Amino acid sequence: MADDKVMIVMTSGPETPRRCATPFFFASLAAAMEYDVTMFFTIDGTLLLKKGMAETIYPKAGGKPVSAFLNEAIEAGVKMLACTASTELNDIALEDLIPEVKMVGGATMWQLAEDCKTVLTF
Amino acid sequence: MANVRGCNLPEDVYYLIEKHVWAKPMDGGVIRVGMTSVAGKLSGGKLAAVTVKAKNIGQEVKQGKSVATVESSKFVGPVPAPVTGVLLRANEQLTSNPNIAISDPYGEGWIAEIQANAWDAEKGVLVTGADGVAAYQKKMEAENISCQ
Repeated sequence: MADDKVMIVMTSGPETPRRCATPFFFASLAAAMEYDVTMFFTIDGTLLLKKGMAETIYPKAGGKPVSAFLNEAIEAGVKMLACTASTELNDIALEDLIPEVKMVGGATMWQLAEDCKTVLTF
Repeated sequence: MANVRGCNLPEDVYYLIEKHVWAKPMDGGVIRVGMTSVAGKLSGGKLAAVTVKAKNIGQEVKQGKSVATVESSKFVGPVPAPVTGVLLRANEQLTSNPNIAISDPYGEGWIAEIQANAWDAEKGVLVTGADGVAAYQKKMEAENISCQ
């Protein structure tokens, strides 16, 4: 069983909470299926990686916060990348982001996309 | 069938305790695999899907690697292989009724069958019988897991 690569591009953020659980769930699921999984955060998605932010967003009233889905994905081995340009768009400093995220440029996203069997965008 | 903290743990299967899966030798070196009643409890008690990756059938799966995935509203995770071998088949009943993996985990709810490569060598890391159930009980007590 080869570790096929897949990527989820996450553009949704705090303004659309209902769109912020399933991408992490799908990432955890892919990791459980032995895929090599990367989530690439850009546009509003990067805001979810601000320290303390994911804890305050609830995709469903009375349900789990986004942080629970995010942590499950990290524990499952999903790699978290964020687009450097999106930190400028959102006025975020690197030290504001959770430590599990690695910053990369857009060219890295293109190269990774080429290596991946599947790319999903949310 | 031993009852440990409300969880059914039969003595006639082999457990990979850390992963909450069981293995049972069938005829011809075939090993039947499923999740334990403890896994059913940890997954939240109601499954949305149990899926064996179709393209893995006929391929070798290593001990500890995923043979299937379990999805519920509060959990998603792998069902790791208790032994190395060629993945022979998935239990097709799970497609229409994933919850039998919880309601009858050691019977109709088995998940997959594997043609084992090295059962005699690998079963050493599994536990079975009264000692196996006792070891499982110890883990459940340490982690405060119960099915009640």
